[in-house]
Amino acid sequence: MANVPSDQEALDAIREELANIKVPGAEQATADQTWADLDVDSLDLVEVVKALEDRYDVQIADGRLKSIATVGDAAGLVQELTREKEGATA
Amino acid sequence: MSVVVTGRGVVSSIGDSPDAFFEALLAKRSGIADGIGACVDFDPESAMTPKLARRSDRYTQLAVAAADQAVAEAGVPDGIDPERLGVLVGTGVGGLVTLQAECEAWLEGGDRAVSPHFVPMMMPNAAAGTIAIRVGAHGPGFSVSSACATGGHAIGEAMRMINRGEADAVIAGGTEAALTGLCIAAFRRMGALSREGVSRPFDAGRDGFVMGEGAAVLVLEDEEHARARGAEIFAKVVGYGASNDAFHITQPDENGRGAKQAMLATLKDAGAATGDVGYINAHGTSTPFNDKIETLAIKQVFNGSATPPPVSSTKSHIGHLLGAAGAVEALVLVEAVRRGVLPPTINYEQPDPDCDLDYVPEGPREAPGLELALSNSFGFGGQNACLAVAKA
Repeated sequence: MANVPSDQEALDAIREELANIKVPGAEQATADQTWADLDVDSLDLVEVVKALEDRYDVQIADGRLKSIATVGDAAGLVQELTREKEGATA
Repeated sequence: MSVVVTGRGVVSSIGDSPDAFFEALLAKRSGIADGIGACVDFDPESAMTPKLARRSDRYTQLAVAAADQAVAEAGVPDGIDPERLGVLVGTGVGGLVTLQAECEAWLEGGDRAVSPHFVPMMMPNAAAGTIAIRVGAHGPGFSVSSACATGGHAIGEAMRMINRGEADAVIAGGTEAALTGLCIAAFRRMGALSREGVSRPFDAGRDGFVMGEGAAVLVLEDEEHARARGAEIFAKVVGYGASNDAFHITQPDENGRGAKQAMLATLKDAGAATGDVGYINAHGTSTPFNDKIETLAIKQVFNGSATPPPVSSTKSHIGHLLGAAGAVEALVLVEAVRRGVLPPTINYEQPDPDCDLDYVPEGPREAPGLELALSNSFGFGGQNACLAVAKA
């Protein structure tokens, strides 16, 4: 399970990707913040999702986007998908 | 209904405020280096947040910076019904910087590599839309596009919007950032660009235009509305005429028919006679064709008058700003009538027998009696616009 990020690692990864698209306050983003809180719109989210897919070599289906309303949701999804991937290759 | 200018803004290779820009013209400064007129000192993040700058093509960044100046000077949207405030900002070619980068990304990385911001960055109405969002302008808003005549059409159509009673004020102008390798190559392949890399309108040695970038935005306002709220009035926009050569997709009509028609329509719209015109800011691109035919058209309009008004070309200083040119040159008219001084044509050394007007080559010329001036803009596609600006 070495490749499944911890809560903190997943949060840090999302903060980094938000910073890459110049979201103000990205470095201090918290798990309970919504995208609206961070002024991240649907176009920004497409960029963040692609970056996370590339970073963890996972695929986030379009249908899953609706379920990630907060930074914490996105971190949880990344953990879930990386865990599934580890399971599949174990 | 009289339309006045209550706000001015510009980003150019020779100055990032109306005063700095116009004073650079008077000082005979050139913004052209290495064959292009780039806004090298422009910092997009001085105009917008890093996030918005990243999501905006350069042509929008330039327009927003110019609009911010104009809006601040006019003091809008305070004192104006937001549903009566329009935005009409055009571009000749739209987000070419983005288009080129995204094509390269797509060819290399496939569909997933294409930015979700590509369309809203590239589309030609992005500048007008971004400005409306920033200002909270809920009146009519769109972009016009007529290649190198865009800025003239934008200011003219904004004036009409106020004339028709659809808006009390319109944030209007033109913007362009097309200094990409692809676009420069394309204009070069047409034979339109100066091989020498020098813009010398009306000179016998002119050999094409020099590409530039920048933006100019004016706040046009119904005069009564402006006076009622105590706004400062810089000049009046009193006439606009548009025409179509219907001749060739890139070459001007050999007899100057469309250019002449646009100037005559503008004079009629302004209720002015040829003798009232004290200055013409030429399209003056520095191509062999344009400058010869524009000269011919001006002479036809002034009907063999012994002394047609002085003519000068701003493109001699900053190159050709394509869709922004007409808006920048409308600002030149505002400053010329306001200050009573004509900016010169620089790089004019050798007279051409086909270009035999007074091009103000020596330097700025005092014109204290200047009441009315015209600005010509002629676009590929054969589309022409002319504006008349009067002293307030």
